[in-house]
Amino acid sequence: MTKQIDARGLACPQPVILTKKALETENEIVVLVDNDIAVENVKRLGTNMGCSVDIDQPEAKTFRLDLKKASAQEPNACSLALEAALAVPTHGPFVIVIGENRMGRGSDELGYILMRSFIHTVLSLDPLPATVIFFNTGVKLAVKDSEVLDDLQELEAKGVKMLVCGTCVNFFGITKDVAVGTISNMYDIAETMSKAGRLVAP
Amino acid sequence: MDSLENYDVVLFDSVSHAIKAEKVLKATGLPFKIVPVPKHISSDCGVCVRFLREQKDAVIAALTGQVDIREIRPFC
Repeated sequence: MTKQIDARGLACPQPVILTKKALETENEIVVLVDNDIAVENVKRLGTNMGCSVDIDQPEAKTFRLDLKKASAQEPNACSLALEAALAVPTHGPFVIVIGENRMGRGSDELGYILMRSFIHTVLSLDPLPATVIFFNTGVKLAVKDSEVLDDLQELEAKGVKMLVCGTCVNFFGITKDVAVGTISNMYDIAETMSKAGRLVAP
Repeated sequence: MDSLENYDVVLFDSVSHAIKAEKVLKATGLPFKIVPVPKHISSDCGVCVRFLREQKDAVIAALTGQVDIREIRPFC
């Protein structure tokens, strides 16, 4: 029988963590959540872990996600060795983390100018970062009316992935204003950071 | 976005001037952007105001008497 996880009523990132744990032992699971952000987060995790994801909404406050691993086969010695080798990468993607909407300490006014200059300059970096992560006041740069929105949208169009901390936009009450990237969770953020070959924090 | 060749930049003597100019220009509603001074103009870690050349007169009018401008040059 397919394992079912009832993650309704649980706060982010609990649904994602429970899903990830279940997928470590199961090839097929059903996850129940009660909000759009959880649907997106669980869906993204499933896709990243090589699952097909079917979404259904049987009740007003219930979303059902059916996750099924594409190649449902037992891990073999080769894939385990590969996993072990990849666990601590010596090479990995270039990731930028933006934990503030200002660059440096001292003057906020100057720091804000510097951060905008920095983001504008990222556009001309070669290679471009694989991912840019926004958290704490950094998320304010990724919303509509942000003065660097045009730069961020250009980066996104060039294939740079943007992760915007969901807890943070919720805290500032700007979840609906996010205008670039994907609303993400600490699970994705920590994983992206830990797999980076280079982590740049302006 | 317009081609970068259609842009000019206003250079200032200091970052404080650029910050002041930003406040003045924001109040006018003119489209502009604070960007790092292009490397071929100066290797200083400076910022300047980039705007569409067709709005040069309006930008100059807004800044005159408010902020000292060092120079206006093509962006590239």
